[in-house]
Amino acid sequence: MSLENVTAALSGEEHAGQAGAEAAGGRLWLRAFAGNRLAVAGLAVVILLTLFSFIGPLLYHTDQIHTRLSLETLAPGAGRPLGTDNVGYDQLGRLMVGGQTTLEVAFGAAAVAVVLGVLWGSAAGYLGGLVDGLMMRIVDALLAIPALLLLLFLATVFRPTVLILIIVVGLTAWLVPARLVRGEALSLRNREYVLAARTMGVRTPTIIFRHIVTNSIGTILVNATFQVADAILVVAALSFLGLGIAPPATNWGAMLSDGLNYTYSGYWWLTYPPGIAIVLTVVAFNLIGDGLRDAFGLDARRA
Amino acid sequence: MSAAAPDPGPDAGRPVLEVAGLDVDIALRRSAVHAVQDVSLAVAAGETVGIVGESGCGKSTLGLALAGLLPENAVTRGSIRLAGRELTGLAERDLRSVRGAEVGIVFQDPMTSLNPTQRIGDQVGETLRLQRGVSKAAAREAAAEMLDLVGLPRPREQLTRFPHELSGGMRQRAVIAAALICEPRLLIADEPTTALDVTTQAQILELFDRLRQTLGMAMLLITHDMGVVAGHADRVFVMYAGREAETGLTADVFDRPQHRYTAALLESILRMETQRKSALYTIPGRPPDLTAARPGCPFAPRCPAATDECAREFPPAGSDAGHRWHCYHPVPAADSSPEVSEAPR
Amino acid sequence: MIRFLSRRCSQAVIVLLLVSIIVFGLTRLLPGGPARAILGVHATPTNIAAFNRENGLDSPLPAQYWHWLSGVLTGNFGFSYVLNQPVSSLLAQRLPKTAFLAGVSVLLAVLIAVPLGLYQAVRRGRADDYAVTTVTFVLYSTPAFWVALLLIDVLAVRLHVFPAEAPQGSFSAIFSDPGALVLPVATITLVSIAAFSRYIRSSVLDELAQDYVRMARSKGARRRVILTRHVLRNALSPVVTLLGLSLPFILSGTLITEQVFNYPGVGLLAFNAAVAQDYPVLLGVVLVVGIGTVVGSLLADIGYALLDPRVHYAGDAGSAR
Repeated sequence: MSLENVTAALSGEEHAGQAGAEAAGGRLWLRAFAGNRLAVAGLAVVILLTLFSFIGPLLYHTDQIHTRLSLETLAPGAGRPLGTDNVGYDQLGRLMVGGQTTLEVAFGAAAVAVVLGVLWGSAAGYLGGLVDGLMMRIVDALLAIPALLLLLFLATVFRPTVLILIIVVGLTAWLVPARLVRGEALSLRNREYVLAARTMGVRTPTIIFRHIVTNSIGTILVNATFQVADAILVVAALSFLGLGIAPPATNWGAMLSDGLNYTYSGYWWLTYPPGIAIVLTVVAFNLIGDGLRDAFGLDARRA
Repeated sequence: MSAAAPDPGPDAGRPVLEVAGLDVDIALRRSAVHAVQDVSLAVAAGETVGIVGESGCGKSTLGLALAGLLPENAVTRGSIRLAGRELTGLAERDLRSVRGAEVGIVFQDPMTSLNPTQRIGDQVGETLRLQRGVSKAAAREAAAEMLDLVGLPRPREQLTRFPHELSGGMRQRAVIAAALICEPRLLIADEPTTALDVTTQAQILELFDRLRQTLGMAMLLITHDMGVVAGHADRVFVMYAGREAETGLTADVFDRPQHRYTAALLESILRMETQRKSALYTIPGRPPDLTAARPGCPFAPRCPAATDECAREFPPAGSDAGHRWHCYHPVPAADSSPEVSEAPR
Repeated sequence: MIRFLSRRCSQAVIVLLLVSIIVFGLTRLLPGGPARAILGVHATPTNIAAFNRENGLDSPLPAQYWHWLSGVLTGNFGFSYVLNQPVSSLLAQRLPKTAFLAGVSVLLAVLIAVPLGLYQAVRRGRADDYAVTTVTFVLYSTPAFWVALLLIDVLAVRLHVFPAEAPQGSFSAIFSDPGALVLPVATITLVSIAAFSRYIRSSVLDELAQDYVRMARSKGARRRVILTRHVLRNALSPVVTLLGLSLPFILSGTLITEQVFNYPGVGLLAFNAAVAQDYPVLLGVVLVVGIGTVVGSLLADIGYALLDPRVHYAGDAGSAR
């Protein structure tokens, strides 16, 4: 969990959310976002890297299944713009394949985290009272255990694949969106239109979805963006601890940590390309998140 | 100390505040807002001038400009003289000794004007400590006196309390005490009662009247509410789109409004008071965009009497014994029905 | 204030209970259950059955939980068959080292980030604000282990200024070679500064836009007075809570750092335990760190309440923080 998220967590309970954001609704936020040059640049970087990872292999064919030790750690040159890695994979092609898993896991984990967090948080905030108290204490308890420790444990039990990573990372990351959305729900539950809906006998799940979740969409979207950035870093950390995806599958974090074993041999092309790819993607998502937050008029200390 | 009669000083009779040809431009990323244009006014000691206009007409910017509190992206031209001393072009360090000491400001929202983590006594006494360098204890003593003067019950107990422990009205009294503790020559009150409930509003406005008399201050009362001006200002300055629309003695302006905008404003409170119509009377249209400098009378697009002439050039001043207005088609005498001429209280 | 304290403390107790239930639950999550966890991967089903009988693991879950919890409460965290030591004594050796590493780093990070964030807020939109923002943004987006290894590459390998490995041995050994601590501390500090200063910058900017700042200006206060007397306290009190809440994040960073520099704290202990599937140790660390975080955020909340008078009056859990 990153600090972006922690600061967000502060707020979930503080000042009961920022449901005022709903006022900025309509399409206004889209225009505000489009006017933010940094955020648009971030979005462009994400699109480019996605194209690079998923369309790139169609244009630049490399063998990313069979290791070829005879070709190991070749410096960049003709036909291999980024050289080869320690088992002979073409590094540029590897960057594309690694990008695929990195982005899949990051988006997947963020989706799991946000969906779970939104369900939990909106239910807790809307129901309120003892139920809310208990649900939020559970969040507190899970939040108290560093995600990396929990992941360390889970990774010993489950053999990591893309799907497992998505679930496991998502399961440790839903707590912050839960807190945020709960804060929103707390302030939204007493709005006139919610009370009106309740008086008319609209079912609780319908109210939660139609009124609570819809009106917290800004907060949710902003947090989802930061979740993607977080997930990339978490997966990188896991890979570094040797708990990432098993070869021949790979991701940027795994490439970076593998490459780091060769730091002293001067094989810069093993570390810098994946490292820069990670930093670039995370920066891009953080920029998008900041831009969305401003566009929705949310408080920087809270979203 | 606070009850002592003010010393008339050498420039007795001269206005405390004289503003001449004041322009304020606020630079935005691509454009500039001409928030205040060619404003001239004067306020004498013991006098209240009401500045009236819709939100966004530049009245708050004018208030900030007079206190030297404009943001960094604002450019001021013209002259602001306080007790004969020119304030425009003054260095920040010199302006600081004017603020608080010679000009006090009361802002709209007492809930946010006070620092939530500081005790009332320290906040009220802060100006004395900053401006006069008095000791903490002496500042507290003075703060207690001042809180008493503004009518806060048990002033000594309030000194150690935090803002959130006070009601809105009490907070606004504390803010007023903080603004007045150095006995400034000029008090600028920017919508001082807008955030308060009706009963408290009346109390605070009465407090202003009393303090102005006891302390002999000049007062600038910025408000959107013609009713407030009617009861509490000696003179009124109606602002539209950053410019003077009409100004004069409150009685004159209310009796014989000349500018169509003033007439419309008066109409709106009249309808509210007499409840002739259940719906709130509003002036049709919206205030103009101040980034676009266009010629002519800024009110023309909303004005029922507008002609082509109005769009060409800003109307020159018409005047009648201190009553001044900028309108090509002043309200004819017959048009001001007896109901309108009654200044509502 | 008393009401706030008592409510906050009872919340913390509930959270602690839940943490213990989670950790207890994790042992059940293991294929083969706690017996497998304790005896290791090579235990046969007969071994496991015998172990379960001996340790009351065939009794109902609540009874087992109670048995386990009363053990924990008396300091019995189990036994590591891999390291052949009681978990409690392992934790006792390692915890102070991690607390020291994290404590020093966070203290440094706060001492640097507060003035930095304040400076950035005051210089908002100028070139130096952009420069610092860019650096912190990039740092904030870089995996901690890469930061650590870049530090090693430059300062240890190329320039030979500081050693790349942390001091080993007992707690006092840490102080015998302070130079070896520089890089681990620098790693955590750098990563935390990046996050903290961003938060402080926006917190100060928020406060600067408040009406009471304009009010202070209208009193003739100079900028330094406004910053120190008015803004700083209001901007920093949430930072105290932030510190409490970011404990898990800091400890995650510590775990990575300990691994990189081979620093013998609980992070490295947990990592090695995970590799060796030494579950009593791993879960012991999870439990202790969880407790530490809950207590830490409780202390942070109390600190916040002391700094911000508004908390005294807070009615519900929401506005209390």
